[in-house]
Amino acid sequence: MLTYFLRRLLLAIPTFIGCTIVVFSIVQLSPGGPLEQQKRQLQAAAAEGGTVGGIASEGETSIPPKALEELKRYYGFDKPIYERYLIWLGVWPREVDQYSVELDQPRRVTGGKSVLVRREGSGLVVYDADRPTERAAEWLVADLKHEDGTPNRYVYKSQFAGILTGDFGNSYQYREPVIDLIKERLPVSIQFGVIGFIIAYVVALYLGIQKALEHRSRFDIITSVGMFALNSMPGWAIGAILLMFLATDSFLPLLPLGGIQSSEYDMLEIGSKIADRAVHFILPIVAYSVTGIASLAMLMKNSLLENLGHDYVRTAFAKGLREKRVIWMHAMRNSIIPLAARAGFVITVFLAGSFLIEYVFNIEGIGKLSYMAILSRDYPIVFAFTVIGVTTLLLGNIISDFILAVVDPRIRFK
Amino acid sequence: MGLFTASRSSATPKPLTVFQRRWAKFKSLKRGYYSLIIISTAYAISWLLPLLVNDTALIVRYEGSYYFPAVAELFGQSYFHAGKEFGMTGVESEADYRLLQNQWEQASGDNFVVMPFYPFGPIEDITQSGNTQFLAPFEADGAGNTRWFGTDDRGRDVFARMAYGFNVSLSFALALVILEYLIGIPLGMISGFRGGWFDIILQRFIEIWSTLPILFVIIIVVSLFTPSFILLLGLLSITSWIGITWLIRAEFLREKSKDYVAAAVSIGVTTRTILLKHILPNSLVPIITYFPFAIVAGIGALVSLDFLGFGLPPPTPSWGEMVSLGLKYITTNKWWLVAAPLGAMFVTLLLTVFVGESVREAFDPKVFSRLR
Repeated sequence: MLTYFLRRLLLAIPTFIGCTIVVFSIVQLSPGGPLEQQKRQLQAAAAEGGTVGGIASEGETSIPPKALEELKRYYGFDKPIYERYLIWLGVWPREVDQYSVELDQPRRVTGGKSVLVRREGSGLVVYDADRPTERAAEWLVADLKHEDGTPNRYVYKSQFAGILTGDFGNSYQYREPVIDLIKERLPVSIQFGVIGFIIAYVVALYLGIQKALEHRSRFDIITSVGMFALNSMPGWAIGAILLMFLATDSFLPLLPLGGIQSSEYDMLEIGSKIADRAVHFILPIVAYSVTGIASLAMLMKNSLLENLGHDYVRTAFAKGLREKRVIWMHAMRNSIIPLAARAGFVITVFLAGSFLIEYVFNIEGIGKLSYMAILSRDYPIVFAFTVIGVTTLLLGNIISDFILAVVDPRIRFK
Repeated sequence: MGLFTASRSSATPKPLTVFQRRWAKFKSLKRGYYSLIIISTAYAISWLLPLLVNDTALIVRYEGSYYFPAVAELFGQSYFHAGKEFGMTGVESEADYRLLQNQWEQASGDNFVVMPFYPFGPIEDITQSGNTQFLAPFEADGAGNTRWFGTDDRGRDVFARMAYGFNVSLSFALALVILEYLIGIPLGMISGFRGGWFDIILQRFIEIWSTLPILFVIIIVVSLFTPSFILLLGLLSITSWIGITWLIRAEFLREKSKDYVAAAVSIGVTTRTILLKHILPNSLVPIITYFPFAIVAGIGALVSLDFLGFGLPPPTPSWGEMVSLGLKYITTNKWWLVAAPLGAMFVTLLLTVFVGESVREAFDPKVFSRLR
């Protein structure tokens, strides 16, 4: 059993690498990236500067090749794509703290130090400028050429910093570590995820059991129709309808239009704070959990119905057990298995956060962050979400199987 | 003797085939059966929308000759008639048929215009006569015409857009499902029947492929090319074939170990024939029962994309674009902008799911015991 799950974990590694390679290549090779955006900005600025009498000069405004090279270096596009991938993964050294240098001229670098690059033999060596005889060991130097043939030398530090070392890099747009951005928005998404998850399971279990016990009753038929209806609509669309009817002046302005708290939230007492939050959470939570409720409840119902038809239930009745005991202790024990198996994906709800729902309700959550990152081509954030998505999916699968093995002793994984 | 056999054969009807029995069962499930009738009728009628809901005239009689612009539009022909052709001096743009109808009625000459039943088009806007911004449902516009579901910020008729959006959404979903079946079914067949390395590689590939950030790909491609029906179809089918592939694979995996396949193999039937003639007809249950739910998913995907603004290009009438417009004006109580498209979507999806549930019940009759 243990070896089975260890093997599953090991098998997840190639899948993880495959996924990240595919996504990394698509993202990095797709046009319109940060480099081109910067170029366009520079060109626009240059064109504006060269405007004569309100008419912009026609033709391509060129960017100085040196500036372009520097931009490329900043975004890491000067390296071949496999190297970029390995650097991002954290198994290839990353060049950090880059400074352009001239030969034999001191250059101030981070940490209040200065370095000096000298030619020694065929190579270049970096010295500590304050103590010219001592080598600055942690600094390395690159000796490249610009496109026009002039030397392009810079010093840098080398370090392993990638997702494997827990470094997701800095966002292009916010100029902040991606980890911090995610951490900032995590509480909101977790609140929605956990509450939605609990409500979905509680409601679905109750509905499913009632529907199974009263199979073909009016209650069963009505809830079935209702659930089919809700299950077919995307959650955000249900949210939009509810918002329209319950939050605007058109019908019943009972609930707030969006966001997670009112503007005067900070000044409220603790009781009103909770009430304020709750009022803001109602509609998004409904939108989050509605789709899950329908499929979970149907699963619960079918599973319980199937078990009620088994011989062991008949036997239990025949030997005179009370109905409650047969249903709850015998049939339920077996019927809950398929639902429990799904619970492994609980880890995805923490980080999922449907951006469509967040978009409709104007919630600054994880989903919205990833959507905005896609729009603005903020690659580090896009990659971070890919990693999180793939990891939670792979782990969710394994955890589901693990829960299945725990709740169902008949299942033996080999 | 002869009489006896004859009477016997007429007394015992030919036994129903499996599909006839399933169809009979499906027909007995009224909810799904009527849903199927309603939605297929509505879809068939939606192809005739240019004759029913349109700002282009059905018949124009001007100076003794007849014109049928809406019919030409229906058949994709050029239906453009400049206003000046019908005596609107100096109007180079398309004739305003509603205006002509009014003018000629008052002039009481031989000229006349017959408009479609609901004389407003999905893409005409405020530049055309009578179109007023933000009319509420059943409010009269500037020319005294009643707008069933009001108008939007550009004076476009919400009912007309909703009706055309139905055709667009369902056509898109149908095309998408057919495309994903064309990709997914052969892959699933080979993967399930052959197994081995092909199956292993395909499984790993699907595992990797399903994590593709499809929205990112769509946004990038849409920013490079003008989005079109075909382009979006291609983009969404990049990942949408995965679901049916799993189903078919499981089905073929199970079926191939059955005796009839072994029998076919032993008498030397070719693999191709075994796959298509022997196993495939026995695997139709998942293919058919999955269909309505794939339609639901397809409509949902298109509406979501349109809602985000990465769907069909404007001014295509699409439900998602209508909802996003409605949410933009949510604080000003233009509720019909949201309610109309989402209501139409809700009814469409509900009917489709009803069909799906009934098909599933008819094809996969699991007999549940009842407690009471």
